[in-house]
Amino acid sequence: MSSLTPKELYNKLSQEAISHDEAHQEKTRVMVGTATCGVAAGALKIKADFIREVEAKNLQDEVDIVEVGCIGHCYAEPLAIIAKPGHPAICYGHLDDGLVHRLVEDFLAGDDPSYEYAMAALERNDVFPTFEDFPRGVYEQKLILEQCGFIDARDINSYIARDGYSALAMALEEKPGWILDEVKASNLRGRGGAGFPAGRKWEACIRSKGEEIYVICNADEGDPGAFMDRSILESDPHLVIEGMILCAFAVGARKGYLYIRAEYPRAVTHVQEAIDQARVKGLLGESILGTDFSFDLEIFQGSGAFVCGEATALVNSMEGKMGMPESRPPRLAQKGYRGKPTVLNNVKTFAYVPLIIRKGAKWFKEIGTPENPGTAVFSLVGKVVNTGLVEVPMGTTLRQLIYEVGDGLPNGKEFKAVQIGGPSGGCLPETALDVPIDFDSLQDAGAIMGSGGLVVMDEDDCMVSVARYFLEFTQHESCGKCTFCRLGTKHMLDILTGITKGEGDDETLNLLEELAEDVRDGSLCNLGRTAPNPVLTTLKYFRDEYKAHILEGRCPAKVCRDLLLYYIEPPKCSKLCNVCVGSCPTEAIFTRDDGLKEIDQEKCVKCDNCLKACPDEYNAVVKLSPPVLPSEKERKAK
Amino acid sequence: MQLLEGEKEQILASVDEVLKNSSKLREDLIPTLQKVQAKLGYLPALAMEKIAEGLNVPAADVYGLVTFYNQFRLNPPGKHQVKVCLGTACYMVGGDITLESFERRMEIREGETSLDRLYSLERVACVGCCTMAPVVVVDEEVEGKVTPTRVDGIMLALQDEEKKSVTEQEPNQGRGEDS
Amino acid sequence: MSEYVTVKIDGQEIKAKPGEKLLWVALDNDIYIPHLCGIRSEERSNASCRLCFVEIEGIPRPVTSCTKTVEDGMVVITRSERVDRLVKTAFELILSDHNLKCRECPANRNCVLQVIAKKRKIKLRHDRFKPIAREYELDDSPAGFAFDRSRCVLCGQCIWADREEAKVGAIGFTKRGINRVVTTFKDLPLAESICTQCMLCVEACPVGALFYKKKEPHTATADKS
Repeated sequence: MSSLTPKELYNKLSQEAISHDEAHQEKTRVMVGTATCGVAAGALKIKADFIREVEAKNLQDEVDIVEVGCIGHCYAEPLAIIAKPGHPAICYGHLDDGLVHRLVEDFLAGDDPSYEYAMAALERNDVFPTFEDFPRGVYEQKLILEQCGFIDARDINSYIARDGYSALAMALEEKPGWILDEVKASNLRGRGGAGFPAGRKWEACIRSKGEEIYVICNADEGDPGAFMDRSILESDPHLVIEGMILCAFAVGARKGYLYIRAEYPRAVTHVQEAIDQARVKGLLGESILGTDFSFDLEIFQGSGAFVCGEATALVNSMEGKMGMPESRPPRLAQKGYRGKPTVLNNVKTFAYVPLIIRKGAKWFKEIGTPENPGTAVFSLVGKVVNTGLVEVPMGTTLRQLIYEVGDGLPNGKEFKAVQIGGPSGGCLPETALDVPIDFDSLQDAGAIMGSGGLVVMDEDDCMVSVARYFLEFTQHESCGKCTFCRLGTKHMLDILTGITKGEGDDETLNLLEELAEDVRDGSLCNLGRTAPNPVLTTLKYFRDEYKAHILEGRCPAKVCRDLLLYYIEPPKCSKLCNVCVGSCPTEAIFTRDDGLKEIDQEKCVKCDNCLKACPDEYNAVVKLSPPVLPSEKERKAK
Repeated sequence: MQLLEGEKEQILASVDEVLKNSSKLREDLIPTLQKVQAKLGYLPALAMEKIAEGLNVPAADVYGLVTFYNQFRLNPPGKHQVKVCLGTACYMVGGDITLESFERRMEIREGETSLDRLYSLERVACVGCCTMAPVVVVDEEVEGKVTPTRVDGIMLALQDEEKKSVTEQEPNQGRGEDS
Repeated sequence: MSEYVTVKIDGQEIKAKPGEKLLWVALDNDIYIPHLCGIRSEERSNASCRLCFVEIEGIPRPVTSCTKTVEDGMVVITRSERVDRLVKTAFELILSDHNLKCRECPANRNCVLQVIAKKRKIKLRHDRFKPIAREYELDDSPAGFAFDRSRCVLCGQCIWADREEAKVGAIGFTKRGINRVVTTFKDLPLAESICTQCMLCVEACPVGALFYKKKEPHTATADKS
């Protein structure tokens, strides 16, 4: 044991980190957002462009080009933050090689920040507005996303220099019970979906009085349409690690695991680096910060099965078995990994813990609503202008989130539904938009908070097709253990597939609804029990759309391909244009004797290429549903 | 599937190497399978048998596990792997149409490898960059906003790369495949 | 812990050993509850067939009796509208994936599915769910028995027999979801696998999926060719 107290040891680390960080801050820093989303938008190329341009100007000694995580403004990717001494740090979006060239020449070599291309400044200043000055700033409140994209995820000093691990140092000077009391007092609810109070889970684990206790972080984010866990692990891994260490101290665990999807290679790399760095600093491993508390972390890579997000399935897969859920009780807190008491929490849940310890339960409870304190983190995607990661206080309404934070729907389209909670969640209509976002209200409305995927849908989205999509997903991901989920979801999917082809009658809808209810009530685990939610909510709120499919053979949103055809309207088509012909992958479009184009319906695969290719001045390609050509319609009318 | 000459030795060596550092406990099964697949690209029956022996698990269970999890493959992947994301956001903007375009261009179905073992095509549940939808992962490179016309571009680039590697390799022929 | 607990099932007072699961207590006392996957000696119930639902006073929804440990004073009813609805749907789902040519089946009149149908008055043939079309090859490679997967209901009894009684490990569950199947390593015919042909799995099968071959009297000694 060290003669220094945890706080004294921490202060040394902190001073090192700050001076390390300050040394960096004397130079100009270009921070390129290279989380997976940024990389997909070409961030690595942008980074290379910066390096090339900076070298061309011979500035490499004055400029550091670093990779940072995701700041949440994904709609503007690729983006970078430039922090030049003497100027506020400024974020630039929609970067390309031309803009990089310009920024290096004018701002890095010259001294003109090129405000016309800037999105926002990162700190308050007298010259340029910050993100908080955006209309969405009124609603956003970043707690666990605060540092994402601003700190160097791959350098622990960057985290420590901003008070990182100070909560741990504080806690180690107290009794373990103090952390538990704070977390309980904060009423932090688990962010994995159901919102079970984290403190109670921890306490149950302590009560089990196991010789060994495990702490596991569930980062098996499998909801197709949610990526906040990935983003946090990639952008601020130490926040989660510190949260896990605090939990381990509270419950008396010596070993913990992060269960991360193998599909998230960047997250795995960043977390592994973070674990290694934390060990070197004495924040993880034997005798943490000189105390007799020891705790170590390891990554377990999930092999890609959505069902492993379920607690018992996750533990089974860690034990080398198929990831299949078990009946409960016993709960994990009594009998978890290796049969020992286990705390399993989501990435976000752990991420809140250091903040609660540092700032106090009282501070946390003042954010959000009394029953649902804190913030909600969503990946806001689909038909919304500002796609990206958002964090808002619990209790914010869906309308505020979509229209203020997300800036509404693009292209002047009409809102139709919002899907919350992914395959386990539901689709809510316009009338539900004033529902406050919290665990209980969303559940009452038929959706769930889930892991936080939020997909906005407009008039071009077919609700039957959306329900079918989610069912196909859960059916595909069903582990197959229990009858309701294995066979029930299969029959539901078959019925839905039939409906997208116009098959069925009113009875079909009743059967679908009955079956959905039985799968909900009869399945073994929560994956099965929640799988019918997308079907039940769309049947509840959008039954007319279902009816249009089966009674009229019509898909109102013109999505279901069996119920539509592509047609070139002769009056709009131009003899001078050939674009659609070239765009067709199956050579279904031909030029008629009169020079206009026509689609051979036999050959058409409905790929949508011609509709996209047809120039705006003509817009001659249209979708018709029901799939009846105007000529046939006339014939039928006669 | 028939193993080519030398493949058997390669499989045995890979499994041995991974097992050397293994705890030999059942809970090491998934990490072991992951490491062996990382070396071989897939999990041939021989590898599964050896892993079962090494960890003292029934081979039927190893087979069960490999067929349960999405990550594991029983057949060698193509040289170029294309994964089409069909997460919600991607699906809504036509990810399925993108997938179909690849199927048409590669002349294989999702989950298959082309006969010349050059391409394999998979669907994945979510890559986690929904804002770039539709997203495709081409040989570990994530690419966003992939429309059917972009599919043609990606395929052309891959074919070009193949042509180049063939012409580059020709002068080296006879030097053996390892370099 | 006291020697026994008292529970009331369908109005009948029953003394039961503490720690016992409700399903077995009911069956021991001639109270029928449908079930396929339950294994009495299993520590944690498989709970996969979803047929043994009952209502317990104080619990808002029907629960599976194989997962509930008896408690003193527990009041249980085995039939209710909600229970019957769930059991009927689960049973019909299982039948939609089961070869219903009973006359050709060696387990005809000796099949647990027929028992459930009779006891609960549910028709074996129903039209709510379309039969799931599949093609399975019959595995008649063993000398004394055969395996027809089109009749398998995935209850797992054979795997338990293979693992826990015979201690062999020749068969297991493979694949996921709707493709889940009982099979050998690499899907080999049983005779080519490590199966010892002890036939304990045949004894365990509640339907006609694993069955003795006719007219070929064969002892349980393994054919080790």
